[in-house]
Amino acid sequence: MQKISFLDQIAKNKRNSIFLTIFVVAFVAAIVYLIIRLLFPGLALIFLALALAIMISHAYISYNYGDRIILKAVHAKPADPVQHAYLINTVEGLSIAAGVPTPKVYVMEDDEINAFTCGKDPKHASITVTTGALKNLNRTELEGVVGHEMSHIANYDVRFMTLVAVLVGLIAILSYMLLRSYRFVREEEREKGIGLLIVVGFLLAIFAPIASRLVQAMISRRREYLADAGGAQLTRYPEGLASALEKIKNINQGKMKVSESISHLFISDPAHTALDDIFATHPPLTKRIEILRAM
Amino acid sequence: METIWWIALAIVGIIVLIVLICIYYINRIRVLSNRIDNAWAQIDVQLKKRADLVPNLVETVRGYMKHEQKAIDMVTKARERMLSAGDKKEKIAAGAGLAAALKTIFALAENYPNLKASDNFRMLQEELDGIESKVAYARQFYNDSVLSYNNLITTIPGRWFAGGRAQHPYFEIAEAERAPVKVSF
Repeated sequence: MQKISFLDQIAKNKRNSIFLTIFVVAFVAAIVYLIIRLLFPGLALIFLALALAIMISHAYISYNYGDRIILKAVHAKPADPVQHAYLINTVEGLSIAAGVPTPKVYVMEDDEINAFTCGKDPKHASITVTTGALKNLNRTELEGVVGHEMSHIANYDVRFMTLVAVLVGLIAILSYMLLRSYRFVREEEREKGIGLLIVVGFLLAIFAPIASRLVQAMISRRREYLADAGGAQLTRYPEGLASALEKIKNINQGKMKVSESISHLFISDPAHTALDDIFATHPPLTKRIEILRAM
Repeated sequence: METIWWIALAIVGIIVLIVLICIYYINRIRVLSNRIDNAWAQIDVQLKKRADLVPNLVETVRGYMKHEQKAIDMVTKARERMLSAGDKKEKIAAGAGLAAALKTIFALAENYPNLKASDNFRMLQEELDGIESKVAYARQFYNDSVLSYNNLITTIPGRWFAGGRAQHPYFEIAEAERAPVKVSF
């Protein structure tokens, strides 16, 4: 039974990745079209074609190089085979247990305990661990954390989450641009029946970032529970991850300097923001620990 | 006239369905059997890596542990047995023997602070610890693969397509590996 639900998850993640990409490409093209309609009404169609072309190449780049963009953004460095032998061995061991190719291993400089994974599929995935995690976690705890990430990789969460990170960031930027563009519209044009467009534009600009955050929160909370369970199944020792999460709860300050658009990738929320109270991207740690301990 | 065509169509449909089901099960058995082979290859790689580290370890340890020639010989012999092992069963037994011999060396090393402090030794210990857990994980994956395969060929309808294939044996932990290490001081 376990295997079947796992296959279901893979299929679902692949399907969701396609839907997300089509949705974002269409959505952004529509926003660009609106902006151009406001500024240069005559050129709208040409720009629409141009926007579509750019968005499709953007989606292509996101799909193939999204992981590199993310790794660069957090200044992750490849793990050193001597200094981080212990981490590399753990990742290799769990990739054997999960039956997936060994992902690349990165380390990022940060005192907080955290880890994330990104990439387009298990063959091109990577796992990044903070120096804080290496310093504070013992072997079974690190295995628990890596097991959680390995389970994201094995069930293709990694593809969907990487795409969300790279594509959703773009929506926020474009919505902001649309909001600003209103100022450049000439007085007489505002009255020429484009009032409706402006209203739509405004609504989009205000609600798009909130909606994208909501999507981010919705997709990631359930996934975290599933990855906790999957990780425990790989290590056959739920207490390892439970104890790691306990340390995260006690040691982390929630002050990592990473962009909002990638916060859902991490095993525990890297930075606590005001939006978290409404749309938390992660389930509460106490709840996760409780579930793991009950396994 | 019309009804005859419908009946013919239904028969053809049923035949196609049966053929598809046959193909599915025959392929499924093949895929799961290949997965077991692949899982075994993973174990084999780790066992070989461990054997390859032994000469290096012996070289490092020899200078410090002058009075432990017996334990060192034991490891060297266990390695030779490992390398000459032929089938799965022999390899599993030899692997367990080597693991036990290595455990003795590391237990004895506790008495040699200089050895324990040496970088080379620490690296080797980390490497061997890593291999130890990889062997355990590879065994877990192997046994999971064997379980799916055995389930498929022993339950209906999978067993109709198995053609009397035997169940795969699990990779059991050898007695030697379960027993605590005996060290005499």
